[in-house]
Amino acid sequence: MKAPLSWLKDYVEISDKPEGLAYHLTMTGLEVEGIEYLDDDVVFDINITPNRPDCLSILGIAREISAIYGKPLSFPEHNFVAETGELDFNIDILDDELCHRYAGRIIRGVNIEPSPQWLQQRLIKCGIRAINNVVDITNYVLLELGHPMHAFDLNKIQGKRIIVATAGKVRKDENPVSIKLLDGSQRVLDDDMLLINDASHPIALAGIMGGEDSEVTTETKDLLIESAWFLPSSIRKTSNKLGIKTESSYRFERGADKKILKKALDRATYLIHQIAGGKIYGKIDIYPKRHKESEIKISFKAINRYIGMTIPKKDVIKILINLGLGIETSGDEITVKPPSSRRDIIRDVDVIEEVVRLYGYEKVPSVVPKSPIYIKKDTSDGFKTRLKRIKDIRYLLKGYGFTEVINYSFMGEDEINNLDIKDDDTRRHTISILNPIRQEDKYLRTTITTSLIRNLVHNYSYGNRDLRLFEIGKVFINERQDNGLPKEPQHIGLLLTKEGEKQLYRDSSEEFYILKGVVENILDDLCVKSVGFVRSNEPFLHQGKASDIIVKFCSGEQTPTTPQEESLKIGYLGVLSARTIERLPVKILKQDVLIAELYLDTILDIMVKELPIFKTLPQYPYIERDVAILIDNSIEVARLFEILRSYESPIIENIRLFDVYKGKGIADDKKSVAFNIRYRSNEKTLSDSEIETLHNDFVNFILSRTGGILRG
Amino acid sequence: MLYKEIADSFNLELDASNSIEDINRLKVKYLGKKGIITEALKGMSSLAPQERPTHGQALNQLKREIEDLLSKREEHLKQIDITRRQIKESLDITLPGNRIPIGSLHPINLVLDEIVDIFVSMGFDIEDGPEVELDYYNFEALNIPKDHPARDMQDTFYITEDIVLRTQTSPVQVRAMQKSSPPLRFISPGKVYRCDSDISHTPMFHQVEGLMVDTDITFSYLKGVIEVFLKEFFGRNVSVRFRPSFFPFTEPSAEVDIGCIICKGQGCRVCKETGWLEVMGAGMVHPKVFENVGYDTSIYKGFAFGMGVERLTMLRYSITDIRLFFENDIRFLEQF
Ligand SMILES: [Zn+2]
Repeated sequence: MKAPLSWLKDYVEISDKPEGLAYHLTMTGLEVEGIEYLDDDVVFDINITPNRPDCLSILGIAREISAIYGKPLSFPEHNFVAETGELDFNIDILDDELCHRYAGRIIRGVNIEPSPQWLQQRLIKCGIRAINNVVDITNYVLLELGHPMHAFDLNKIQGKRIIVATAGKVRKDENPVSIKLLDGSQRVLDDDMLLINDASHPIALAGIMGGEDSEVTTETKDLLIESAWFLPSSIRKTSNKLGIKTESSYRFERGADKKILKKALDRATYLIHQIAGGKIYGKIDIYPKRHKESEIKISFKAINRYIGMTIPKKDVIKILINLGLGIETSGDEITVKPPSSRRDIIRDVDVIEEVVRLYGYEKVPSVVPKSPIYIKKDTSDGFKTRLKRIKDIRYLLKGYGFTEVINYSFMGEDEINNLDIKDDDTRRHTISILNPIRQEDKYLRTTITTSLIRNLVHNYSYGNRDLRLFEIGKVFINERQDNGLPKEPQHIGLLLTKEGEKQLYRDSSEEFYILKGVVENILDDLCVKSVGFVRSNEPFLHQGKASDIIVKFCSGEQTPTTPQEESLKIGYLGVLSARTIERLPVKILKQDVLIAELYLDTILDIMVKELPIFKTLPQYPYIERDVAILIDNSIEVARLFEILRSYESPIIENIRLFDVYKGKGIADDKKSVAFNIRYRSNEKTLSDSEIETLHNDFVNFILSRTGGILRG
Repeated sequence: MLYKEIADSFNLELDASNSIEDINRLKVKYLGKKGIITEALKGMSSLAPQERPTHGQALNQLKREIEDLLSKREEHLKQIDITRRQIKESLDITLPGNRIPIGSLHPINLVLDEIVDIFVSMGFDIEDGPEVELDYYNFEALNIPKDHPARDMQDTFYITEDIVLRTQTSPVQVRAMQKSSPPLRFISPGKVYRCDSDISHTPMFHQVEGLMVDTDITFSYLKGVIEVFLKEFFGRNVSVRFRPSFFPFTEPSAEVDIGCIICKGQGCRVCKETGWLEVMGAGMVHPKVFENVGYDTSIYKGFAFGMGVERLTMLRYSITDIRLFFENDIRFLEQF
């Protein structure tokens, strides 16, 4: 809202400097966002919060100023003498829920001309274009008193009557009602939209914009000036639906003042008579739903208790009176009667706010609460604990060289299509946003992988080709839970890609194993036990270089007699498939891109962080033996280790893999696997001969189970 | 004298020794079983008994001296040997270390961690809630009915007519209050969404909101807690001011400004020449909100506050474009 200083001064004495006034307005709740210094004036740009429609006017702001400085407020001139005699005009309100009051004034014989300079200037300073004297005056009074009005050309109203009714009520056939508005647009209306109609057709979209048919033009002689009150929610709904925002709709949807409506009509009549001449005729005022006076009772003590300080009684009373609130006090009680303009003052706390904002927030002391120790009643593993574990993982990943990213929770159709995921997969059951900003952000992501690929594309196109990225965030699965909302599990996503040989120190291991190592360490940190890696058939991963991550657990915990081992997928990792890569908007030719996604919430739900229990340190020495065997290529190491572990012996302490070799000197379908076995007893020092016997038996066991042969 | 001859010849040989082998040879030659000293000691039997002690002492003295000199020389030669070897093995110590590359954490999360830590240190718990939220929790329960102009303050992403992407983390407060009875003291950090995108707005951003409910909460406690937080976060000397504002779920409501940390209150582009930066919103919980969760408003009072994490992060690191946070360019992220 723009407010020229010179205009404000019409209603209240202002001796403060513009900056001082701006400061005081800001500190009492009317935030001055800018001050414009003109040759002959100063214009304040004031941010009016939605609860204060009364301040969408010069008089409303002047009232605040009068309350701040304790200066009297004067009301603009609006007295005149009207012609007497019968009025040949009718107004009917058919929907009085939507229109609580409708008043009209007839003025005949006006001269439509440009407005006088002073009036035009004031409109321009407030950002409104001057049109002609009558229209300008309705706009002037809108700015002055905050009440929107409309001027009709009386002779263009058919049947000498106004009917206030919804489109549904005036619709003559199946076809929806339509109207051509002042801005030249033709609008088709919903049945619940409120209209101002004459005897034959709609002449205005109530409270929002007039129709072209009844527009005041230079030929206009006689006028009907409308001043009415429309239901805010109805105006807002219509205005949003049609996408029309006007000075009028903006005020009506925030709530106009039923009582000032009549004064505004008089003020406009007075000004039209003064400026455009003509004869003032009678007024029709239909007022089916009257303003209800409200009363709020509150005690001085309650005010002080709410604020946390004692505000002197006389200050409280002065503030309320200066704001134009009616008050009565008896003992410690105050009865407050807010004026019709202050529809925001409904209950005790609203009164407290008025008192404290004018008394000054800065005068309220800052006190740190006396703080009893706070003990949470439910002892569940709260979000705080979860957050702590997530934080640990973030720092762990930082230590492994990963950079944390945060992506929008959105994805586009192409992005999810590019993963070639089957239609029956939950990740294809996307949740779509009705009003996305752009099509690429139309869906809520069902996987973090689409987000990480976005980051890959962005970075790659700027030449950042060594990437280790991670994100911990939610994905959204379109499966309604009991509360009616979709699932939002947290996932961890990882992306790794390396530009290749250009490195000072060589690390020749396959990137798959680097990422797998990181994943294993995270799972370790999360205390996930019995993790398994099995071949994955995620369609966007390289068939030979992809693994699902599973945990095995006993679901029969409640009935230990029938434990049933189940496995649950908790993520995957692997190299992005060539198909997915080649469809990206950047060319990635020489390097593999590795992705991992872990279902963090699933993991946190099934895993309880256990405290380690101390084990006595071993007292006897160990003996180690290395074994190298030649086995079929098809036996994966996980299978080999299953076999090794199936040999039960209390003195096998550890088996460590240290070499897997394929190539020169070995048949194509074979590989050499070497591992180190550490033997140790808890009871005694083992002798060489004891070990020899056991070791030979173990090796024979391995060879017979794997069909392998011992290597050199 | 016999001793002098032995000593002189030994000193000559010792000076000429250049290696551990030389030392070992000298050990054998002088101190070995058939060495010169040993032989000389054996030769004492040919001396008169009264001369023996003097000779013996002198010979033993000489033996100790030779042993001592040999071991010193040996030590010296070993040292030379090690030094020579180490020079040969020497590295270019100015080559960079073979570092495990250290990654970085997102600046938003760094600041979020910091905010959370401050409130946790003040005894606040942490609550979480859904990002896809019912219109009821995001708006209605917070005293923002449908078709209310206050909805203009937030452009909302809709999933259905009744399901939205939460525009604030306040719905978490409502859910938490429904779940437990007072006293309450918690914050709710998280992502929120608004249908808005330009240099100062992104469709997703982060908020931390807080709530404290008890029987004796006052507006002056609200000021106290927020001031403590802002001074912890921005430094002891930061100035803080509260000015009236409007939020549908608080009454009275306040905007919280800090003295511009860039120009120290003198006025600059960041603070739009006002000397003040808006950093938080706050207020006493509106009794309507308490009624909606079934709290007795004659007994319980509370305050709530909220802040945008992006804004605080931009101030902390002098970042000028909010969109950088979600582009995830590593050249940006690695700076933190
Ligand atoms: Zn500044």
